[in-house]
Amino acid sequence: MHGKGPWWILLAVCTTVLLATVATALVPQAPPAEFGSRPAAPAPAAPSAAGAPPPAPPSPSPGAGAGARAEPAAEPVRLGIPAVGLEARVVPVGVATDGTVQVPRDAQEAGWYRHGPAPGSPEGSAVLVGHVDSRTGDLGALAALYRVREGDEVTVGRSGAAPVRYTVTARTLYDRERLPAGEVFRRTGDPVLTLVTCAAPYDRDRGGYLRNLVVSAIPVSG
Amino acid sequence: MNPRNASLALTVAGTCCLGLAAATPAGAEPRAEDDRASVSVFHGIPGLTVDVYANGKELIPNFKPGTLTEPQKLDAGSYDIEIFADGEGPDGKPALQKTVEVAAGGNATVAAHLDAQGKPALDAFVNDVSAVDPGKARLTVRHIAAAPAVDVRAGGTPVVRGLENPDAKTLEVAAGTVRADVVLAGTGNVVLGPADLDLAEGTSTVVYAWGSAKDDNLALKVQTLKGMETPPGGVNAGESDLMASGGALPAWAWVVAGAAALGSGLAVRKLAVRRG
Repeated sequence: MHGKGPWWILLAVCTTVLLATVATALVPQAPPAEFGSRPAAPAPAAPSAAGAPPPAPPSPSPGAGAGARAEPAAEPVRLGIPAVGLEARVVPVGVATDGTVQVPRDAQEAGWYRHGPAPGSPEGSAVLVGHVDSRTGDLGALAALYRVREGDEVTVGRSGAAPVRYTVTARTLYDRERLPAGEVFRRTGDPVLTLVTCAAPYDRDRGGYLRNLVVSAIPVSG
Repeated sequence: MNPRNASLALTVAGTCCLGLAAATPAGAEPRAEDDRASVSVFHGIPGLTVDVYANGKELIPNFKPGTLTEPQKLDAGSYDIEIFADGEGPDGKPALQKTVEVAAGGNATVAAHLDAQGKPALDAFVNDVSAVDPGKARLTVRHIAAAPAVDVRAGGTPVVRGLENPDAKTLEVAAGTVRADVVLAGTGNVVLGPADLDLAEGTSTVVYAWGSAKDDNLALKVQTLKGMETPPGGVNAGESDLMASGGALPAWAWVVAGAAALGSGLAVRKLAVRRG
């Protein structure tokens, strides 16, 4: 025992530390904390007896040609949140056959819900969605939303228009089945950028992640 | 008024009332908003500038053919609509007259147009403004032209067949742009179009075929109504269980784990040897 005894004790200690390190990496990740609040949706038009303002100006439109509508908004092409190293290409997405939003297959991309407002619109919620991870086992670009903090700056690059800047104001977790879609996808009311990805718990038999992580950001004025 | 128009008016009123009954929750207090209806007016009689009167009051002066008004909020009730040649109302003999029931909460378009034989007619069409599924748009086609039955095609494929004046057909389609044209029913003989229709999601596009085939002035008029969108059913934004299991396990972790396992084995063995 003299002189050469402690080597195996040292080994045991090292082993314990190493095992602890690995275990930490394997422990199920706690969902990110919620903070802040979203800008309010417009008051429901229903209860006011005075009546909401008419939705359309009552002026005649003699020249309305075939398919006349408002000019298309500039499409978002890039999403960046420098504080958490998020940088993703943005592609337009629509509705999947099951009625949910299409999510880009490439987890490094974000999808813009093209039927709703575009980032930079004067009103409504512009929604960008993205996978939190990929089938091949990499983290998705929007996994960085787990690390955003109130006040982080968000930049959305647009095609043919100047980028628009937002400030993160809130992060909220919803049971996926209870995502307030009418609010998240609202087309009127104060402008807000809404970033949606998925969050634990995960249940393969019930369609994967059971919660949505929703980050809200409001336009930077000026 | 011919009997066909009169019976149509009854149908229109009936449909509006049904719509209201369905839209008002049982026991809910009637709301001011619901006591009004949205009414647009379309002038589809070529070559005749008119004044439109409602219950003896001038509603639209100097109304030119091909003009469609924006929806106006009108109180629900019965409206005596009279159409006079420009400047001849309200004491002269109206060119067209009809009583239209405007139901609370409804949305309608009143159209002055030609019937199939080319005689002026006045009809009220109910606009379906119920919600459409996410990603969808509503398309309505109304035949109000002095022309025989037609087919309406989208991208060359008939989507409405055998439509006759003054009938209408409504479809729910995927949002997007379609190239539409109108052909004589059952033929490839194009009488109108093609025209690109931008069927935006959550909107209703109403296409009127109006004018007269005989006078070679058939035309399309497009009316767009908005606010019928439904939000998507959710966001499924995960592919694997990576984020639920704590993120990716990098290669170094496996090396460390292997080393740790080896180390444990050695340590346990050493301990066992010494105790033994």
